[in-house]
Amino acid sequence: MSVTLSSLSLRNAKRQTGDYLVYFVSITIVAALIYAFNGLIFSDELQSLSQRLKQLPLVIILASIVVIFIMDWLVSYTINFMLTRRSREFGTYILIGLESKQIARMFFMENLAAGGFALALGILLGNLLFQVLRAIVFSLFHTPYHFSFYFSLKAMGLSLLYFVFIYLFAQLKSRKRIRKLKIYELIYYEKRNEREAIKTSRKRRMIFTLSIVLGIVGTFLLMAGSFLPGLIGAGCIIAFLYGFFISFASGVPAFFDKRPALKYQNQNLLVFRTLTAKLSTMGILMATISMLLVATIISEGAGMIFRGIFTGRTRQNSCFDILLSAENTDEEIFTAGLQYIKDNIPVKAGLQYPVYLTESSRFMDYIENRTDYYRTYPYDTVMRESDYSALRAMLGYPPVTIEEGQYLIHCQPYIAKVLKGWEHTITLGGKTLTPKGLCTEIFAQYLYSVNGNGFILVAPDDAVKNCPVSHTIQAFLTSKPVEEDLYHALSALANEIFERKGWQDSTLIYVKAADEADAASATAMLVFPLYYLALVLTITAATILTIQQLSETDRLKRQCKLLQKLGMAQKEIRMALHTQFAIYYAMPAVPPVLIGVPFIINMARVVEPGTLTGINHPAVITGTSLGLFFLIYTIYILMAITSLKKNIFL
Amino acid sequence: MLQIKNIEKYYGNKNNVTKALDRVSFDVRDGEFIAIMGASGSGKTTLLNCISTIDTVSAGDILLDGENIADLPADQLARFRRERLGFVFQDFNLLDTLTIEENIGLALSINHKDAAQVQKQVHAVASRLGIADILTKFPYQVSGGQKQRAACARAMAAGQSLLLADEPTGALDSKASKNLLEIMSGMNRDMGATILMVTHDAYSASYAGRILFLKDGRIFNELLRGERNRSVFYHEILDVLALLGGDVSDVI
Repeated sequence: MSVTLSSLSLRNAKRQTGDYLVYFVSITIVAALIYAFNGLIFSDELQSLSQRLKQLPLVIILASIVVIFIMDWLVSYTINFMLTRRSREFGTYILIGLESKQIARMFFMENLAAGGFALALGILLGNLLFQVLRAIVFSLFHTPYHFSFYFSLKAMGLSLLYFVFIYLFAQLKSRKRIRKLKIYELIYYEKRNEREAIKTSRKRRMIFTLSIVLGIVGTFLLMAGSFLPGLIGAGCIIAFLYGFFISFASGVPAFFDKRPALKYQNQNLLVFRTLTAKLSTMGILMATISMLLVATIISEGAGMIFRGIFTGRTRQNSCFDILLSAENTDEEIFTAGLQYIKDNIPVKAGLQYPVYLTESSRFMDYIENRTDYYRTYPYDTVMRESDYSALRAMLGYPPVTIEEGQYLIHCQPYIAKVLKGWEHTITLGGKTLTPKGLCTEIFAQYLYSVNGNGFILVAPDDAVKNCPVSHTIQAFLTSKPVEEDLYHALSALANEIFERKGWQDSTLIYVKAADEADAASATAMLVFPLYYLALVLTITAATILTIQQLSETDRLKRQCKLLQKLGMAQKEIRMALHTQFAIYYAMPAVPPVLIGVPFIINMARVVEPGTLTGINHPAVITGTSLGLFFLIYTIYILMAITSLKKNIFL
Repeated sequence: MLQIKNIEKYYGNKNNVTKALDRVSFDVRDGEFIAIMGASGSGKTTLLNCISTIDTVSAGDILLDGENIADLPADQLARFRRERLGFVFQDFNLLDTLTIEENIGLALSINHKDAAQVQKQVHAVASRLGIADILTKFPYQVSGGQKQRAACARAMAAGQSLLLADEPTGALDSKASKNLLEIMSGMNRDMGATILMVTHDAYSASYAGRILFLKDGRIFNELLRGERNRSVFYHEILDVLALLGGDVSDVI
């Protein structure tokens, strides 16, 4: 028999797996996430999907740096927590003659073993997760997904490097702490009384009121949307969270002390005493967790809004494969572009047509007053009925006939809602026209130099012929899908002309493939990191809450046994426990919901109308963000409940 | 062996100072069995903690074989705890992850003793304390009395000469208490161990050769057993306690 330090460590690490299973699972999941995202960095196959994905590695590395800091906090916190819980054990080691540096080393070995195991497991799991990310990227680029095993030594190396950083920082901190610890503190740690963070009730009330005011001001500033108010707003929110949790936790006992009737009602005494005992020492921690959750909800919401913007904008112009438009058809870029397409691209159908301006902005005024519409043309735009019919035929839309003396409005669905029931006549080219109705198919109506911004009027040819031309469009459908390279070729052409004669042309070049690749790359580069962060943040916050809750198991078990002896029914005990549980998990989640929801809704409003529709509607985005957040949060709550039930209600 | 010179210990902050020990001085000779008695809050445990280096004194000196333990550097302090000091707590303080055998042998293996030697020493001390048959069990599998005997074995296994015991019988029933106290006096008598035991139980104290009574952090009285038998000594202790104004409950 010989108990060496390393075997003692191993045994301790093994024994703790039960206590810290949640922590271990979380670290493993984060390791898997880190590996999977590192896989994206090193995958040549994914990089080759689009030139624009070349920036992806940088963005992922930046997100990973933030992840390292968050994980370092989680690991440090948990290590510190274990240290506190095992203080008596460590005190005993010192008492029988171990030096503190030996204990620091042993403790480090334990954590290293657990971390190393989690990393190894995480990398295995990360391979599966990488396939999920790969499938998502493929679907963004409309490339069929096929399974092919991919293991990257480089991705593994980078993940290992990140873990070394995480554990190195955490280790340095815990080492410092262990060395400073006095044996007396270690052995009698459990007997220490908890202290209220703020003692006087006046001060507490002041901080509480001030924090609520800061919270409201901060939320409004965040919603303002610009940089400086946003920054000040974020500061206010942080101050609110800390102020609120510190004053609230120490205020609850005072609240009940003044209201004895309420205190002894039902299980209030039990629920709130247990809760405040925790909260009074956890005020700062709760605030930090709440802050992480605010960041989670905002990241998720922002991620979805960005995705919505990219897909929404792309969809609006996606009916044509290629569009060239210019104010004058003899502009050099326009003619050179047409020539290039004629020479290189097999075209299935094409049409050149002018978009005219009417003499009034009546429609724009009307729409602008009722939506967040903003104008990009001086007057309402209109096109000839013959061009419109030809375009409909080209796009395969059902034909629409306009009788003499009628006009039609082709618009985006959100404008159709505003114009529903519109019965006003218009005068064009000396003719009075009555409305025929509305069409809302996708018709390249996004922003500039296309078929109007959001809407276009369609009128008989002879009514339009004398109107001024806004711009001329050349639309193409190609016989086979074009590559985004076409856009680069046309851009190169335009640049060459620009360099030669300066910026004179108004030509706009649109290539659907390039626009879609743009959107897919932007989605990958913005949305992936945001979700990566959101996941890590939720996992970190939920892990810490759950570790805290599970560490109470023994105490709760004793308490339940005692209550049973005192004659409390099992059902009542269970109810009290559940209430306490619900409040405990709800508290840090309520402020983030109150801050996050208005933030997301407001952010969605900044986007031009008509972009976020269907599954990208702001309400759906808000719902999905909250749903996703609560899904992960609930998994952790369920883990805690299961473990508690197993241990307490045998 | 041990000289306690004018030690003082204060707790609290500048607004609220509690004096736990007030100019306490006494000597401990090799092979003595001393009990420290007093009511709750009289400073017994603080005194023991200061001697065991668990706590530090605010003033005064504690000399072990002429050397001030406050001056020892960290590594020598660890060595002192490892080689000279054994500590027994009221609540045993055994490590749950280790078997009784490993708990006893832990200090020895930290001393980098040869594995076979460790086992031999553990078995020797375990059979002396009557726990040889439970060596392979874990602490939660044995009784309180057995746990405390294991704690004693751990405290003495490395040949430590000074055993500090803080209410060692506090968590035991009377039979287990008696058993443990007899073992402790055996260790004192046969192995020459110097024992310093904090207790508020007169019966436990009657096993000691000398008793120091603490009141409000000061030594209030000292009682020597001399040639008297334990029963007479026990009654004398009760008399002093009555004088000390201890609660009846303290005097069982």
